Amino acid sequence: MSEAPALETIGLGKRYGHTWGLRDCSFDIPTGRIAALVGPNGSGKSTLLRVAVGVARPTTGHVRVFGRTPEEVLHRVGYLDQERPLYRSFKVGEMLRFGEKLNPLWDAAAARLYLGELKISLGARVGNLSVGQQAQVALTICLAKRPDLLLLDEPVAALDPLARESVMQVLLRAVVQDGTTVLLSSHVIADLATVCDYLIILSASRVSLADDLAYVLASHHLLVGARDTSAPTGTEVIAATHTGRQTNLLVRVTEPIDDAGWRVEEPTLEEIVIAYLRRAEAGGESSAHQPLLPKGSEQEQASR
Amino acid sequence: MIWATWRMERSLYLVAVVALGVIAVLLALAGLHQESAWAAYSNLHCGEPGSTSGCMSAASSYFSASRFSSAGVVVGFLVPGLVGLVFGAPIIARELGQGTNRLAWTQSISRTRWLLLKLAVGALASGALIGALTPVFQWWTGAVQRGDRIVPPNFDASGLVPVAYALFAFMLGAFLGVLVRRTGWAFAIGVPVFAAFRYLERSFVRSALVPPVEMSKIQVAPSNNWVLNQGYLPLGQSSPGRGITWQTKNASISRCTNPGGGKATVSVQHCESLLKLHFVVQMQPGNHYWLLQLAEAGVFVAAACALLALTVVAVRRWRT
Repeated sequence: MSEAPALETIGLGKRYGHTWGLRDCSFDIPTGRIAALVGPNGSGKSTLLRVAVGVARPTTGHVRVFGRTPEEVLHRVGYLDQERPLYRSFKVGEMLRFGEKLNPLWDAAAARLYLGELKISLGARVGNLSVGQQAQVALTICLAKRPDLLLLDEPVAALDPLARESVMQVLLRAVVQDGTTVLLSSHVIADLATVCDYLIILSASRVSLADDLAYVLASHHLLVGARDTSAPTGTEVIAATHTGRQTNLLVRVTEPIDDAGWRVEEPTLEEIVIAYLRRAEAGGESSAHQPLLPKGSEQEQASR
Repeated sequence: MIWATWRMERSLYLVAVVALGVIAVLLALAGLHQESAWAAYSNLHCGEPGSTSGCMSAASSYFSASRFSSAGVVVGFLVPGLVGLVFGAPIIARELGQGTNRLAWTQSISRTRWLLLKLAVGALASGALIGALTPVFQWWTGAVQRGDRIVPPNFDASGLVPVAYALFAFMLGAFLGVLVRRTGWAFAIGVPVFAAFRYLERSFVRSALVPPVEMSKIQVAPSNNWVLNQGYLPLGQSSPGRGITWQTKNASISRCTNPGGGKATVSVQHCESLLKLHFVVQMQPGNHYWLLQLAEAGVFVAAACALLALTVVAVRRWRT
């Protein structure tokens, strides 16, 4: 297989009328990774995934999937839309037949096995299934396509904790067995830390961070020190909070910290993500001129 | 995709087949009745010397049997368009409305291929259904028996053109569905657009699709011809030249035939030679029927192809 990254975006932007749903988005996801796409509602997650699969056309920039345009590699990409569109009048078995007819690499046995494990009957009408079951059917169709890249928009959103666990297991199995690259969006950060090894933070339509998760964890520190102590050299302050006589800084380090005035602690993934989101929301450097979208506006526009 | 489209549309097609089947049976019953009345009338050889007195009652029973045939023309006029729009409007609009296009477009099939296969299934269904019904329409209007199938209301409900109307209406519905993304609106806009296109074509284009024929030396055109114009023209002219219309010379002839007003006293033939005029009928003769059918079907199929091209462009350029 070629060396091209599984997903590459170059200056990607998408405008809806006068507002940008996605802006100046450039990052790579190497093959074989499970990448988490995190950001608040309306930050452009769904837009990014729709552009990546070619359903939506970008206003600016390019997206490359395994070095090709999304249209050229449709058969290698599995895509789960945020709204889980399915033909509601179809029976589950007919939905699978639909997938089988439209995908040359379709794995019918795996699809039936997976639905069997979930106790979803092939004779049931899709419209009569619960929201969670519909999500499972939609995910099954993605997986049975045997894709090299999975783009999943909130794959666990409507699922109970047990189903959440099983979906994550299935994804891990796919990556281990087939070397599938996964990009999944979520705002439940706790789920991601155990599964993902790559992190993309999207905030106010822009990419705040896109990097290897282990590196992100290693290069961010929580510094606790006396109030109004200046930050040590070689650090970029992402977030600062002050309590009483104490200052907490979340910093990104570029060189080892050698400053006795600070106690160095390891932040959780959630703390890092929230620090970046807060900074973007407060009009931090990466989105200084970007007005905040009202919550949910991006989803509404994307679904039209 | 063919199976999937069939699976999505089959309940609509089934309802349409049942509804039109009921109409077809009613038409067939009326047609049988009308045909037997026509046979009874024809057998009397009315209009020939020595025709019997039963002619009047036989004729009146034929006319009462055929009193619905003008309604049949209306049905024949409406049904191809309605079937085409009903099949065409939802075929893409429903997917766009429910977001299932995002499911279909992310399988391993290109968007264009998806669109063309869907449209092929719908077009085939519309065309086949109307094709199957056309013989019933044309039988019911009675045009085949009377031999005047080239005359407008009958022409529209016979031969190839109903299928062409249905294909055009189908593509119109599908295209509008892509534009407005709502089945109901696509249908609501499609009806007047289709009716306007049909009306304009029928009023201003059809008669010139095949060069019409001008005939002189006859006073009454046979009923199996579609008369476009008739009137007195200067000898040697078979169509109105500069400064005159088909009606211009009618007044001169009538002044000549009855110079004193009231009853005509001078023969028409005499006046014609006196004024150097002859009576010309411009028409599409009955033997132009298939030529005209092919030409008109061609117009609507070409319009459907243009709409197909626009639909393909619209779907390929689709921006979410």
